[in-house]
Amino acid sequence: MKKYGLTTPEGTRDLLFGECTARRDIETKLTRLFKNHGFSEVITPFLEFYDLFDSSRRYFPQENMYKLTDAKGRLMVIRPDSTIPIIRLAETRLKDEPRPLKLCYCQTIYRVNPKEAGRDDEIAQCGIEIIIGGEGGEGGEGGYGESEALELAVKALELVGGGEVRFEIGHCGFFEQLARDNKINETEVDEIRRLVETKNYPELLAAGVPPDLRELPKLFGGEETFGKAEKLFGDKEMKKRLNSLKSAYDNLRRIAGGDKITVDLGLTNKRGYYIGTLFNGYTEGFGKPVLSGGVYKVNNTAAIGFAVNVSAAAANKGRLLSENIASGDAYAE
Amino acid sequence: MRNNKIRIALTKGRLEKEALGLFGEMGWDVSAFSDKGRRLIFTLPGAQIVLAKAPDVITYVEHGVCDLGITGKDMIMEYGGRYFEVADFGFGRCKFALASKKGERENFFEGCEIKTVASKYPNVTRRFFESKGMDVDIVKIEGSVELAPLLGLADGIVDLVETGATLKENGLEIREEIADISARLIVNTVSMKMKKPEIDGFLRLVESKTQEKVK
Repeated sequence: MKKYGLTTPEGTRDLLFGECTARRDIETKLTRLFKNHGFSEVITPFLEFYDLFDSSRRYFPQENMYKLTDAKGRLMVIRPDSTIPIIRLAETRLKDEPRPLKLCYCQTIYRVNPKEAGRDDEIAQCGIEIIIGGEGGEGGEGGYGESEALELAVKALELVGGGEVRFEIGHCGFFEQLARDNKINETEVDEIRRLVETKNYPELLAAGVPPDLRELPKLFGGEETFGKAEKLFGDKEMKKRLNSLKSAYDNLRRIAGGDKITVDLGLTNKRGYYIGTLFNGYTEGFGKPVLSGGVYKVNNTAAIGFAVNVSAAAANKGRLLSENIASGDAYAE
Repeated sequence: MRNNKIRIALTKGRLEKEALGLFGEMGWDVSAFSDKGRRLIFTLPGAQIVLAKAPDVITYVEHGVCDLGITGKDMIMEYGGRYFEVADFGFGRCKFALASKKGERENFFEGCEIKTVASKYPNVTRRFFESKGMDVDIVKIEGSVELAPLLGLADGIVDLVETGATLKENGLEIREEIADISARLIVNTVSMKMKKPEIDGFLRLVESKTQEKVK
């Protein structure tokens, strides 16, 4: 029998020296930032019952979760996410706490990735959740906590960026309403949402999708995007949503300045639990968003939150540092 | 300093020739490729071009080490992944099809015995038969899939068909066409946002040239 005593499991690794220091440094700075803004830190268990994530299976397909059984034979998962456990906490032990409830966390999550894809299964995240409504509460557009979460996200991104960064906002209501107005039926809407999310212009055309839905994913970029969208959207609700996004955009530009802030009206509710504003943070040299979040509703709780991929930020920081050393730019900053 | 140049992963072989033709029409100097030897990276004034095998084009784009990729829809269907798929080049056209031996199993979906299907594209094959509500055994074959039914390993094959000549010469017939294939432009999700002006510029050039051809 082959022995596996000398390697780490696929998708995991030991963190040494520079990267280890970078990760702890980022975790410390983010936690300090969150606490300075009045967030209280929580730690949730490494293991959760499978049932907790089973209710949101669109976002957490079972093949992407590590599973095991407890002593009673019940199915458990190693947490694939921290948001759902924090909502569980808010709805149970913290149900009588006054809202809004401002929680932050700093812990690892585990997801099963295709092997040899060069992706980590273990990801360190730091994030916040602002629990807006309790039972039957309504969050949503322009709701409480939104500008606070957005401003904090921009600060968090600048803190971890280490190079050029972009912060992007959108709102899943644009797609959902256009789909409703165009009477897209339920069997087709998931596929069209996927095509919009992946900016699949040729397939949207081939599928005969109505022109306004086809244009939606092309509406991304800087300030000019709002002008283009204004022309495309006739509906009052759409215009209202656009205006509120524009004021959030203007506000963030005042804070972060320059062309760091962008907008993408083609962002969709691909995860199944978002109900309003969505946002992503990108940094040079990492092929995926390093920060992402939005307004969501899980069970009966509306909230807004985001998570920073600390593993990616730490690796990126290590890489930028060694590149700068190699090119003699280490002291250029 | 921000690196504004875009890096394009290009599938070696037939798509490479077609794409270089298009780049030439776009006014790019592609003469470096005529005597390329074994080089894999080419720096042109407009972009850096990387030559890679088709599935690797997807990997490089997904990880963001290449901003753009030119690969077939067949690879996108088989390997999936997270990236934007923004343009159809219109070249590299062919079809995914199910085929079996001439005169045998004319209705492939009939009967309740489990059939064996050979393919280079197990994921595409699995999804196709799932959509038919059929249980099949899938055997992954790396090349000349036509052999499998001839040698008695499989009842049918799922493969790319261009003209149908290979099938015909080997006594096979198409039972059903599964999907139309052509070359696509894929874009890393972060590059799309970080290098928008450069990528938009490239996309507009590509669209103007490919639309001329459609006309």
